[in-house]
Amino acid sequence: MAKHETPLLDELEKGPWPSFVTDLKRQAETKPECWDILGQLELSYKDRITHWKHGGIVGVFGYGGGIVGRYSDVPAQFPGVEHFHTVRIAQPSGLYYTTENLRALMDLWEKYGSGVTNMHGSTGDMIFLGTRTENLEPLFWDLTHDLGQDLGGSGSNLRTPACCLGESRCEWACYDSQEICNHLTQHYQDEIHRPAFPYKFKFKFSACPNDCVAAIARSDFSVIGTWKDNIRIDQAAVKEYMADNAEYPSNGGAHKGGDWGPFDIQKEVIDLCPTQCMWMEGDELKIDDAECTRCMHCINVMPRALRPGAEKGASILIGAKAPILDGAQFSTLVIPFIEVNKESDFEEVIDVIEKVWDWWMEVGKNRERVGETMQRVGLPTFLSVMEVEPLPQHVKEPRSNPYVFWKEEEVPGGWDRDVKEFRKRHAA
Amino acid sequence: MALSVEEIEAAMIAKAEKSPKPQLYIKDFYACAPDMKPREVKKIANALVTKGKLMFWSSGSTTMYAVPSRIKDEEK
Repeated sequence: MAKHETPLLDELEKGPWPSFVTDLKRQAETKPECWDILGQLELSYKDRITHWKHGGIVGVFGYGGGIVGRYSDVPAQFPGVEHFHTVRIAQPSGLYYTTENLRALMDLWEKYGSGVTNMHGSTGDMIFLGTRTENLEPLFWDLTHDLGQDLGGSGSNLRTPACCLGESRCEWACYDSQEICNHLTQHYQDEIHRPAFPYKFKFKFSACPNDCVAAIARSDFSVIGTWKDNIRIDQAAVKEYMADNAEYPSNGGAHKGGDWGPFDIQKEVIDLCPTQCMWMEGDELKIDDAECTRCMHCINVMPRALRPGAEKGASILIGAKAPILDGAQFSTLVIPFIEVNKESDFEEVIDVIEKVWDWWMEVGKNRERVGETMQRVGLPTFLSVMEVEPLPQHVKEPRSNPYVFWKEEEVPGGWDRDVKEFRKRHAA
Repeated sequence: MALSVEEIEAAMIAKAEKSPKPQLYIKDFYACAPDMKPREVKKIANALVTKGKLMFWSSGSTTMYAVPSRIKDEEK
């Protein structure tokens, strides 16, 4: 029996799509506070304003993140959501769970919260939606002691690092994304659990340029696998694809079932190369690797014939953000190639991270993402901070300012001049 | 001469007590320790939270600091 009339929300149950309204009504059968979520949301639809208060001081002792305080501004009307805090649970690398672990997490949330979840939030965390303040410490104790799991990041913290499944399942992985993700999660525990920055900061690790975790779009610090040498070509396998051998389906058979006609390497691969760096010489496929931008299309279409090169590592791109309303932007390529090395405890990558942090914490304004700071100061300044030599690929457009501005260190003798010497030649 | 950690802590608490707004960003504390790197300043600020001298206030996307007496507890 519904506790509140919800005619506006009920409209969202019509049609063929899954509906969160239906889900919440079902959940309300065992968790009555869910009626009050629906009731308050219905009121928000009528009033055209949120009835959640913004922010708070709740958390667990010793942590400055992982819990987001939420309170209703109409608690007398909807007592079930008087407190309705969000708990962020750090996801395992590559989102590998056992069903046993998932059941244990759900049991925990049924015990201490509303049972409502968001799998997964934008950062990758499991989001548990809705609990009261007095439940936070017991939940945190059970989570950390019984399940051996931890809270994720929130606020001005380093957010929970996220990665693709990498070498565990993918033959295109150019580095061990899960290893570095786990290593940096352990290395930066203080930054994850306590505020550290002018605003949020996110790492994401994709082991190849297919970028399955969308690091380029969603992380301030995107580490995307790449290779230095040439795409490895198996010419015999290329011929099998061209002969339309059923054991060599294009895209690994991902699009099997459609009536695509016989495989056409010219139309489906060569003509779609964004830099047009591929061609056929007789029955041999040729690639001008210097022009390759690592779009991965040819490798994705002919996985048995083409593979990433053997000299593997990653590119580092900096400054993505994805706010819904305004200003979404991709990361900018800053370091084209870096070794991602477990033997050195990923020291090379850590050096880059800390160089960015030291600069951004000093120069970044409050609530300014590092990508916004980069835009404000300009890429040339940022590259100079990072001690990276500019590349042609860093140039977005031809210059529109006719002047050349030199830095003091670029001019012999710097800015100091001997005025007396000058006046000997140019009287005042 | 560089300030001691105790002097920096006292300056940070004084700033949080007297600032026009009760909640401060971490950058607002940098001036209390002009010779320190920002990451060192944030460690001192977070240690003051552990000691109960400051509190975190979080919107979910940003975290700020305040002295407990100046911050509104939604539950009281």
